[in-house]
Amino acid sequence: MRAHFSRPAFFEGARDIAPMLIGIVPFGIVCGIGAITAGASPLAALAMSMIMFSGAAQIIAVQLLAAGAPFAVILLSCLVVSLRLVMYSAAMAPYLRPLDHRWRALLSFVLTDQAFAGTLQRFQTSDDLRANASYFLGSGALLWVIWQFATLAGILAGQVIPASWQLEFVVPLCFIAVLVPLLRDRVSILVFTVTTIAVIALDAIPLRLSMLCGGLLGIAAGVLGDKGAGKRG
Amino acid sequence: MDKELTIWLLIFAVGAVTYTARVSFIALFARREMPPLLARALKHVPVAMVTAIVVPAVVFMTPGELRLDPGNAKLIAALVGGAVAWWRQSAVLTIAVGMIVLWSLRYAIG
Repeated sequence: MRAHFSRPAFFEGARDIAPMLIGIVPFGIVCGIGAITAGASPLAALAMSMIMFSGAAQIIAVQLLAAGAPFAVILLSCLVVSLRLVMYSAAMAPYLRPLDHRWRALLSFVLTDQAFAGTLQRFQTSDDLRANASYFLGSGALLWVIWQFATLAGILAGQVIPASWQLEFVVPLCFIAVLVPLLRDRVSILVFTVTTIAVIALDAIPLRLSMLCGGLLGIAAGVLGDKGAGKRG
Repeated sequence: MDKELTIWLLIFAVGAVTYTARVSFIALFARREMPPLLARALKHVPVAMVTAIVVPAVVFMTPGELRLDPGNAKLIAALVGGAVAWWRQSAVLTIAVGMIVLWSLRYAIG
């Protein structure tokens, strides 16, 4: 383990990821608020951020928890939102292959949207695996630490601010800010439209399965839409 | 089951799910290629799942009560928030404007 660690690269990674903190701080605060308004204790709300360490999975868990969904449905829905991490894992895998299993296990834990976006280029352009791994660890470690502080701020806000302020609405607004820039091409708009209709039409189905089913139908529409677009082009 | 206990079980179960997703190709199937259909489907996960989270939180005034008219303050606030997000890609600005619209409409409607 120590043989691979490079302290300068670790701090360089932390420094280079700093601009991305602007994006995760409000999201972390939202996760803290969401957990508290869904009825989690402050300790559980913080543990969510420490252990799940995924804004999308945390939010879907607290939304479904608040709606009274069964355990298995919450778990399955979190699995679907986490599939995006599988994509990152596959993209990073060739670069991390020569590392020993402890390093790979550790770096996997801090693999997030931001750490992936911020470090992939470094792996593509530099062959110094020892420095790259430490750089990645530095980026991921700083993101993890800041995520906890942001969550803590949200936990405090969620406890102090009265329910009449409807602070839980911060959650969909935060996701709208994520979603709108993604709707750039026809297929993404198709996915959005199909998911919207499906999630409304399926609202009455039991066990709060509408979110999961709506999302899966949207993904299926996207795969079919890509095929159609490919044929035309 | 006790709610607090359910939440703790969920934290560890979802934690296992997110970690498994992260470690999947890095360590578990390090020697395998991703199946092409899975790769094509994964591209659409963000839009589909974020939509599935946002839409029900906006279009239902109370659970089961679908409201697609201007009387639904959450719908108006979300549309204005969406316009702000289109104009400036800023989460902070989207949240601030959306909440102000929500509060103003609630105050106006009473």
